[in-house]
Formats: sequence, structure tokens, C-alpha cells
Amino acid sequence: MFCVKDFDVSNSLPNFSQIQLNFLCRVWCEKAFTRLEKLKNDADSAEQYKTVLNNAKPGLWVFTDASNWKSCALKSLIHYSFNPVLDTLPASLNELEDNDLDALMADLVAEINAVEESVAQAKSAGGAPKPPPPKTQDHAAPHPAVQNNLGPSIPAFAPSPDLTTLSPALKPQLPEDAEAQAKADKIKQALEKLKEAKVKKLVTKVTMSDESSKTLMVDERQMVRDVLDNLFEKTHCNCSVDWTLIETNPELNTERGFEDHEHLVETLSAWTRDSENKIYFLEKVDKYAVFKNPQNFYLWKKDKKALQDVKDKDKELLLKENFCGTSIIVPDLEGVLYLKEDGKKSWKQRYFLLRASGIYYVPKGKTKTSRDLACFVQFDNVNIYYGKEYKNKYKAPTDFCFVLKHPQIQKESQYIKYLCCDDAWTMTLWVTGIRIAKYGVKLYDNYKAAVSKATTSSLFANRAAPSTSTSSAAPAAKTPAQANGHAGPPPLATAFSEAWTQAENKDHSDLSSLPLPPPDPTLPPPPPPPALPKKDKLTIQPQSGNFPPPPPPTMDFPPPPPDHLLELPPDFLPPPPPAPGEQESHTLPPPPPPPPPPPPAPAVVPNPAPAPKKMSPAPPQRMTPVATAPAGEDLMSELMLAMQKKRKPL
Amino acid sequence: MISTDDTCVVEGRRFHRPVKSNLSVTHKHIALTKFSVRKLISEEHSFSLDTETTSRCSERVLKGEVRDTLAKAHKENATTAENRRGTFLGGSKTENFIRKTKKRMAVWDLSVTVEELGVEAPPLSISVTSDLHIGGVILKIAEMTQIKMDWSDHALWWEQKQQWLLRPAWTLDKCGIHADARLTFIPQHKPLRVGLPNGAVVRLRACFSGPLFHSIIGICRILNIRHPEELSLLRPVEEKKKKKDKETQEQVYDLTEVPLTVGNISSLQNGMPVHFAISPETEAAYKMLSVSQPPPAPETIAKMYRPASVVDKAHIHSRWLDSSRSLMQQGIQENDKLSLRFKYYNFHELEPKYDAVRLTQLYEQARWALLLEDIDCTEEEMMLFAALQYHINKVSQSEPQAMMTCPAMDDLESALQSLEVKMEGESSSMDMLETMTAPELHDYLKIFRPKRLTLKGYKQYWFSFKDTSISYFKSKEESIGEPIQKMDLKGCEVAGDVNVAGQKFCIKLLIPSPEGMNEVYLRCENEQQYSRWMAACRLASKGKNLADSSFTSEVENIQNFLTMQRTNPGTTSAQADDNINTHSLVSPRYQKKYKTKQLTPRILESYQNVAQLSLTDGIQKFLQIWQALPDFGVSYFVVRFKGSRKDEVLGIANNRLIRIDLGVGDVVKTWRYNNMRQWNVNWDIRQVAIEFDGNVNIAFSCVTADCKIVHEYIGGYIFMSTRAREQSDTLNEEMFHKLTGGHEAL
Repeated sequence: MFCVKDFDVSNSLPNFSQIQLNFLCRVWCEKAFTRLEKLKNDADSAEQYKTVLNNAKPGLWVFTDASNWKSCALKSLIHYSFNPVLDTLPASLNELEDNDLDALMADLVAEINAVEESVAQAKSAGGAPKPPPPKTQDHAAPHPAVQNNLGPSIPAFAPSPDLTTLSPALKPQLPEDAEAQAKADKIKQALEKLKEAKVKKLVTKVTMSDESSKTLMVDERQMVRDVLDNLFEKTHCNCSVDWTLIETNPELNTERGFEDHEHLVETLSAWTRDSENKIYFLEKVDKYAVFKNPQNFYLWKKDKKALQDVKDKDKELLLKENFCGTSIIVPDLEGVLYLKEDGKKSWKQRYFLLRASGIYYVPKGKTKTSRDLACFVQFDNVNIYYGKEYKNKYKAPTDFCFVLKHPQIQKESQYIKYLCCDDAWTMTLWVTGIRIAKYGVKLYDNYKAAVSKATTSSLFANRAAPSTSTSSAAPAAKTPAQANGHAGPPPLATAFSEAWTQAENKDHSDLSSLPLPPPDPTLPPPPPPPALPKKDKLTIQPQSGNFPPPPPPTMDFPPPPPDHLLELPPDFLPPPPPAPGEQESHTLPPPPPPPPPPPPAPAVVPNPAPAPKKMSPAPPQRMTPVATAPAGEDLMSELMLAMQKKRKPL
Repeated sequence: MISTDDTCVVEGRRFHRPVKSNLSVTHKHIALTKFSVRKLISEEHSFSLDTETTSRCSERVLKGEVRDTLAKAHKENATTAENRRGTFLGGSKTENFIRKTKKRMAVWDLSVTVEELGVEAPPLSISVTSDLHIGGVILKIAEMTQIKMDWSDHALWWEQKQQWLLRPAWTLDKCGIHADARLTFIPQHKPLRVGLPNGAVVRLRACFSGPLFHSIIGICRILNIRHPEELSLLRPVEEKKKKKDKETQEQVYDLTEVPLTVGNISSLQNGMPVHFAISPETEAAYKMLSVSQPPPAPETIAKMYRPASVVDKAHIHSRWLDSSRSLMQQGIQENDKLSLRFKYYNFHELEPKYDAVRLTQLYEQARWALLLEDIDCTEEEMMLFAALQYHINKVSQSEPQAMMTCPAMDDLESALQSLEVKMEGESSSMDMLETMTAPELHDYLKIFRPKRLTLKGYKQYWFSFKDTSISYFKSKEESIGEPIQKMDLKGCEVAGDVNVAGQKFCIKLLIPSPEGMNEVYLRCENEQQYSRWMAACRLASKGKNLADSSFTSEVENIQNFLTMQRTNPGTTSAQADDNINTHSLVSPRYQKKYKTKQLTPRILESYQNVAQLSLTDGIQKFLQIWQALPDFGVSYFVVRFKGSRKDEVLGIANNRLIRIDLGVGDVVKTWRYNNMRQWNVNWDIRQVAIEFDGNVNIAFSCVTADCKIVHEYIGGYIFMSTRAREQSDTLNEEMFHKLTGGHEAL
């Protein structure tokens, strides 16, 4: 009788963007509501109405309060309110009749088309790059906005329960081609449906840093990157590159950050029925630390101090050398690690070496030349995990352990390899090195994608935030007013969240901390002058040999100290995000050298080129007073000031 | 000390400095001892000193004597003295000096040997005056010989001075030529035998007059290798006398007839550059260049020279020729044999489409480096290299045209691709419907599960392979019901345990489960059964089912390997065409360690991961793994660091210098180029000094190689790294010489 197939809808749609999905949800809710209203108004069906409510199962959405139903619907659609039972679509699909499927399909396609049209319309009208209404409407205080706005949008997408009304729209206009085309379309649809039906989908619970959780649907084709993007939208977090999905296994005390290109479903399906494994959504600095500070991993043999004043161009060069060549170069790691012997409780020391082809060890009485090495493990079939608190669990010499095992192994087994390092930094080195060896260039691609995501979303947040209140007035993005809508002052909430994002951004990655362009006047992030690297290169050449080295200024900028990274609490449950002010003193590395290079540059200029050898010791004395004064904080506060100024006129 | 950093200026200075000092010596009669130069050089000075003091009027004659003596001296130590002499007589100040001392223009005879007149013919004697320019001399020669031919490639070579006279506008006087000079009139381009990385030898016309760098550009253009700056020539390792008979058999691909084209080769014919299409021989040569050679016989590998230590490797690097001097100047004669190798391990923009020859030769060089243990790798890596070699050889034999590229082929390729896509689109509906009827395997097999503590051994069941899992039943009749067990092979490890002679065909499976890995052995009856089930297991482990297109090829591969194992190693020659002795895929170390039949399954194991690669992908994968080796791209030199009492090894790689302990082989220190401020070469004491950021200074003298080679290596790598930023394909030759030339540049 009455059944809103919301669950199935969202189920079959995961390849659509979140924007589209959210929009669809709304339309479906609308439908549900109209039917419910009908039911309610019908005098004698009051009784029936109650039973519907009572019998409500997960997957069926029922709304009690008409005045509040919309926000309710949205909420419940986003937070699936049932247990994270692992559930696959085929089952739910099977319950449906074939014609149901057809109807569903037609409905969806029509609606998607409508959305696309309206988006296109809005684009052409307003010229705004991408005004995805759901995103704004997801914002901190969505309720009033949504309630106001949904009304006008309804007529445009009148509920269309019948497939017949919509399917003609799908068909092409030309009569001669129509038949063939229709047939082709049908086949296509059928195929899609079949494919769809074969795609595995899971519902899983993701735990946040504050132990709250969100339930979401992932399908086989979704990469972790997509899931992260999903979560970004749901949590309104800053989209820093450090956000990671983490799998924990309480049975083995292991923890592993997913790589962005992995398929979450694959891992989830390896879990046992009664598994207590969890997925966390957390920020992990070591996820991409190697790309932010490659010198810490590739030049780890050098002393710490030297590594701290590595210049940006040297970092770039390192990345280029190791990740952009024909083959990926793995950091040459070697050293003594403890190995837990098969089935025994003792840990034995061995000298291990990391190569692109695997981990090797030096057999007794042999040298560490390549030919003598014995293979310990190759990476094709194993993943790398952190081992937590193994001092207690397995009597490990330290708590800095990592584990290599086949992803399907969930319980203790002789096929798991346990290794233990002397300190946290060594462990980070090894784990990162192994990840590079295993994933190669994919890791770098992931990072680049993450960075671009982080920069665009921070840009977007900046641009879109002020327009929230007004723009959400037209969630379908139809009115041109919405596109460039930044009339009126931004509401307090948005201003705050904006500031928060900025503060966050500043604290995080070097790359995402590109100056955030103010909302309106475009101030593109200053790209490093293209000529610069070329000139730098020539330092080896004589002319620039005369240049006094510019280390002092850079030295004074607090570079992200590697130690900081290691000392991060190993537990995967950092406290809930504190207020922006607090944040700074807390976990994150001190602000990286701010992106605009001007400060060091002018400092160099006033010292015109005496002989290099004599000069090099001299500069520090001269420069230090100049450089120490401003340092990092000042620049930051300046930035803040600038941001505030920009905001005031609005 | 020169700073090569500021090449122009400093080298200019450098160029003049010795000249000045020479003059001062001659005029002021300063005692020679003041010069802290090597013996030979002082000899030079002493002679010129004598000349000056004895008599000024007979200067010419005496100078001749001097030069003769010098020439003798130079024969003893040609390379080292060369530089000195060049500067001694080349500078403009010297010229002025000579001009001043000259009284008036006189006609004198110049003797010139002309090759074209025959070996026995006496040298021509041409009467000239000192102000006659070189062009005029050549004109006179051409007239006198009365041979009508194209002399445009000919130039004058000054025997005693080991120097070309290439500037037609310079006068004899300016060149410093006097009556005693014996000149030869020879072509600048002469045939040269070039040993390629793949071991083949080509004979081609190379430029003997320009700097070696220029000659290599020409050679690479003929061979169609892009980025010639990465290659260089070196003197081959002397071959033992007993190999003499072999040398006569050596096949030489003659490319001397190939027209020397100018500019980039863009036009292709039959998938090869136009200049190869002139005759069947040259076409064969191109095939040799662009298609990898079949694996050598294991005995050949064992017989070839292998560097046994770092010092041996260092000696190899002392053989590089000097890029800034001409072949002729370095004592290379017509038809001499030199080896062409990739010298700088910094391969710019490898593009399979244009780099057929380059990729193949690079692959060959890498392969030989591995086979001859020039670069070390682990056993696992060696197996993968072996598998790739096997695969590359197999693919290049079956589709020799694959590497050839031409526009038409590209079109065809894309057309095929789109067709494939189309087919996929059309057939997918069929596939979808057919998933129910996907191919399956059914057979009676024996299973053994060592995990259980029973000693039952293998037990026979009815097995059925469906999708990616194996189920087994008590018997065929019961296969409709529930299986005894169903094992999903996704993500499992598959290994073979085969002994053809013993008729043992086992498949070892390590199937992951939440509790760990389950070990399962399946035993097949015969080869056919084994190869099918093995192929199925392999596909399933990668998540593919039997419907996958690679199934049949997988089955074939397994059968091939089985036949390889079946044939006895004794009969290798008989079946050499079809099957390869696996010993020829690994270095002698592993030849000794493993028998062929032990090696085969291990190579097969690695092979399953690469079997689906195309030829170019296979080659590129090979190169990638090669480049990922820790020792990749390091050229070794034995040096003596300043302040150190023992010899050490300096490794030069594309991004860093490495100081290595000679005895232990440990890396002592690493310096990266991007921290390098400048480097200097003191040619007098033959010491290289390098300054790094942070006031780090190192200096060393070279023991195994000339310091010019070391200097050139460092400069070369700096040059290679500047390249990446330039988008254009033009090669900045001048820059290369600036960075590598030392005081001879410009």
C-alpha cells in the first residue's frame, strides 16, 4: 500500500554525486509526505496512519510531524537510522518486482535529468562555477533555510509516481529513429540495471573523532577518496589532506589508514560476521607526511638539524626525483628491527633492509650485499598495519610495532608478521617506506588529488559561505540571483565556520594553506614564478655562486619539526576538535613557512654578492635580527587581519 | 683553480694563463723548478726555453725539433700532455709573439699526405707562404691531386700536433704551421665499428673531427636514438687472444651506406626511419636495433668478462672517451671498435612511440648489466628479471612488428581499440546473460590439506571450478548437492610444484581466511589437467573467472614452461628456437646455485605477474625495476680524498655523490647535487674540489680514471638535470661543453 522506497533509491544511486543524491532524497520525501498527508486527511484512516507508524521498518520513512518533516527527512536520510547491519542491495532488489524496478529506474533518470537541467540553467544564468544547493543546505543551521526553500522548488519537480508520465520525456523526438533508439535505450537501461544489481553495496558505520558515528552506504566501485568526499560534506570539516579512513581490529590491536585509491567494500567484506572492527574518520598527519616533508624520509640519515632547513625547492626536487621518474624510488631504509618469531613469544633482532621488491634481512654470517639478502616478505599479498600496545599484548620490546598480513586475516595466525621498532620515528619511516614500495606512484597521485580537493573546497567554502542564507533560497539553483548572491552580511554561524576552516587550514598542510582568496575579489594564490626554479638550478653555476646563501631567514621560520610528527599520540582517538584558538597550541605542527616567499627574498637582495666562501659564514649575524622579529606568528596574525579586513566591507 | 661554474669567463682565463706563463719563461729565462707542474710539462718548457736561447733566427727549424721531441713524449703520455700543448701554441698571444719574431714573408714547402693517392704515394709538396689560409691550402691540394671528387668532407690533420685544422680562414701562420709540419688530407667522416648495448656491432660513418659529443649525436641520429647526450663511447675491454678466431665470425651490420641526414628524422617507412629502408641489409640492421636479442647461451654469459669488485667496475669507467675532443685526437683510427653505451642514467622522456631503438638498447644494457653482475640484485628480483626477459623475448618473437610505429599503425591501433570498445558494449549484454553459463572446470583431483594432523595424504574428490572458487564433492554423482567444501580463491597465493619426469603435478594454494592462511595441495593427473587448473587458480587469485580472455594464453604459458622443464639441459641446442634454457636468463651466480629445473618453477612464479604485459610494457617494467634497484645508476671511481691515506670509492649517480669505503663497501657519506655550490678541477695536480652548502668542502684526486672523466660525469649530470625544464627538443650543445669541457671548452 504505502511504501516509500527511499532506502532503495539511495541504494541504487551511489554513483551519483552527493548533490544529486541529496536532491533526490528531498523529492522522494516530498512524495512520501503528499501520500502521508492524504492518509492523514482521510478521516477514517487515522487508525491506519498509526499502524503505519508502528510498523515502520528501517528503510521506510515515516514522518510524524508535518511541520517538521522536511528537516526530519533530511536528517534521517543522511544518518540512516538503523543499525549498521551489513546489507547488500541484491537482497533488497530481489524483493522488488521487475516492473517496480522499471518504474524506479525511469523515475530516477527523469529526475536526474531535471536536476542536471536546472544546474545547467543556473550556470548559464549566474555564471557561478558550481552552486550545489545541497551542500549549502547541509550547513550548520539548515532547518529554517530548508523549510523556507523547499516549498518553491516542489512545483518544478512535481511528484511523479507514475512512470508513464515521465518515460515519454526520455524518448527522443525524432520519429524515424525513435523506435530503434527506444530499443537501444531499453537495452541500455536493462544493462545498467543488471550491472547495478550486481554491484555490491554495504552499509557501514563510521566513527568520528568524538566517538559519534555516521552511517553511510558504500558501493563496490567507490574508492576511499569518494567516501572521504562524502564524509567531508556530511561533517563540514575542513577538507585537509590528512583526513583518513582508518580500520581498526580490536582482536589484533591493529590499525591501518586506507589509501585513497582503495575500495572500502573490499576490506569490509573481509570482516567476519561478528567482527568488532571499526572504521574511523580521523586526521592523520603521517598519511601524506612524506609528500610534505620528503627529506625526512629520503634523507633520514642526515642529522635532524640539516633536515629542518631544507628549502621548498629541494623538497620539490626530492619529490620529482623519487616520484616523477620512470620508476618510483623507495627510501633506502635499513636497520635492526625486532621480529616476533612464529608462534613464540620472543622477539628476535634482525637487520632488515627495504627494497622496492620487498623487505629483506641479512642472514646470519652474511653481508648486506644484495645477493646475500634473504627475502622476508614481498608486498603483493600483504598490507601494512600499525600494532597498538604490543608491549602488553605480545610482550614486544617497545610499543612501536607494525604488522604485515593478508588483508583477509582477521585473527591471530602464524601468517601474520610482527615487527617492532626502537622508536616511533623508525616505525613511521618503515611504514611509510613500505607504503611507497607497495603503492608506488598511486600514493603520489592520491596526494595530489587530495590537495586539489582541499584547496578547491577551502576556496569554495570561502566563496560559498557568505551566500548561504540567501542562496539556499533556491536549492534547485535556478534563480540567477542565487548564483552571485552575496547580498547582505553573512550570518554569524557561517562567519564563524569560515574562520574555523581558515584557522584549520593554516595549521595543516603546507599546500592547503595557500592564501585563501577572499570571497569576492579574486586573488589567485600566487604561484611561484616559473622562472624561479631555473634560476635556482643554476646555483651550481658561477653567477649564483656569488649569491650569499639565504639560509638564515628560512631557518627562523619554524619548519615542521619531524619529531613533532612522531610524538603524535599513537591512539587513534584524538579529542574532539577544540576551539580554533586552542587548536594551535595543541596537536598540530607549527605553521609551515608561509607560502608567499617575499620575506626571505628581500633579505637576500641587500647583500650583493661578495665572494661566496668568505661570505657564507657572515650572513647569519646580519640577518638574524631582521628575520627573528616577524617570524611565523606575525605573518599569521597579519593574514588573519587581512582576512578580517576583507570580510568587513561585506 | 678554475671554477667550472663560470665556464665562460673562467675558462677563458684559464685558457690564457698557461700561455702567459710560457712566455714569461721564455723571456725571463726563469728556472723551471718554479713550476709545480708535472715532469712532462716541464720538459716542454725546457725545450722551448732552449730554442729561444740558442738562436733566434733558426727558430723555425728548432721549433720543429722541439715538436718532434714533444710528439714522442706525447706518444708516451698522449692524453695528459694534450691539453698543455693545445694551450701552449693555440693562444693569440703566442701568435703575436711569433709574428713579431718573423722578418718577412717567404715561400716554403708544405708536405701533405693525401690518402686518395694511395698508401705508397709520396706526400705532396705544396709551396705556400705563411699568410696563406687553410682554405687556400686545401684548394691547392685538390688541384694538385688532379682527382675529381667531392673533397668537401676532407680536412687537414696535423699529425705531430694531433690536431685538426678546421678553420679555412686561418692562415698557416695563425695555426702555427711551419715547414716541418707534416699534414694529412683526410675525410672527416670515417667508418667506425660501434658495439651496441645488445652486443651487436654496427659499422657506420662517424665524425672524426668534431668533439666526441658531436660525433655521438651523429651516430645516434643514424641509429635513431633520441637524446644522444645520455650516451657516450668507451674503449671496449681488451679481448683475450684466443678469441681471435671468434672475432672473424662476428657479424657486423654495415650502415656506412646510410645517408647522413640532417635534422630530425620524422618520416617513417614501413615503421622504420626512411634511411633504413634503402636496402634489405639495413632493414635487417634496424630490426636488430629495435628488437631485443634472444637470450644468450648460458656459456656465453659465463665466458664474458664480469667485474668482480667495485674496483673492477671503477676500471670500466676509466675507459670513457673524452667528450670534448675528437675521435682522431684520442687516437681512434678508422674501423676501430668502440662501445656505445648509455652513460648518464637519467633517461629523459622515454616515449615508446619514438624510442623503439632507444628503449630496446636501454633494455639490453640493463639486461647485460644484470646478467654480468654489474649491478647486484636479490634472488627474488633476479627471478622477476628472468621472467620479464622470457616474456619480452617471447612477445618480440611472436609480434616483431609491435614495436614499429607509423601513423598508419597508430590509426589502425585506435581503430582497433574503438572496435574493441564497441564489441564490449555489444557483447556485454550477452556476457551478462551468459554469466550463468560461464565456463567451469570439472575433474577428479586429489586434495591434501597438511593443516590437519592426519597422515592421510592425498584423497580423491570430484572438483568443480566455478567463478573464482573451487568446490569439491565426494563423487561426480553427488555434485548436485552441497559440496564438502567451497574455497574462494580470491587473493590467494598460487604456486606450482611440478616434476615432469616424476609425473608430479601439484598446485599449492594458500587461501586466506580470517583465521589465517589455509594450505591446500591439489594434485593433477597430467600436464593438460594441471595447466588448466593452474591457470584457473591463477586467474581466480586475481579475482578473474574462467571467462576471462587471458585464460587460454595462461594455459599455454604454463604448458610452455612445462616443456621447458621436460627437455633435458643437455639438448639445449636442439630446441633452442622454441624454448629457452632458463639458465640464460639469470646471472652466473644463480646458474651455479640452481639447476634449470629448480629455476623454472621459480621463474614461472614471477612470470604469472607479468605474463599479460605487452612488449613495450614489459620492457618498461624491466627498466623500472632496474631503476628501482638501490645500486642503480652509480658509476664508480677509485679516488683518494684529501687528507685521507687510503683509496676510497666515489660513486657518481644522477642526483648525488657517494663516498664508499673500499674495503667494506659501506656508504660513508652522500652529497646531493642540489646542495652543491661549485666544483673546481685543478688540472695541474689533477684534483677535483667540490663545495657544498653549509661550507662543506671536499677534494679528491682520481686514481683509476682521469679526472677529466670524473669532471665530465658530474658536469654531465648537472646538464641532464637542467634538461627537464626545457621543453624544446633542441640540445644545448654549448651548455654541455661548458659543464663538461673543463679548460678545453670553447
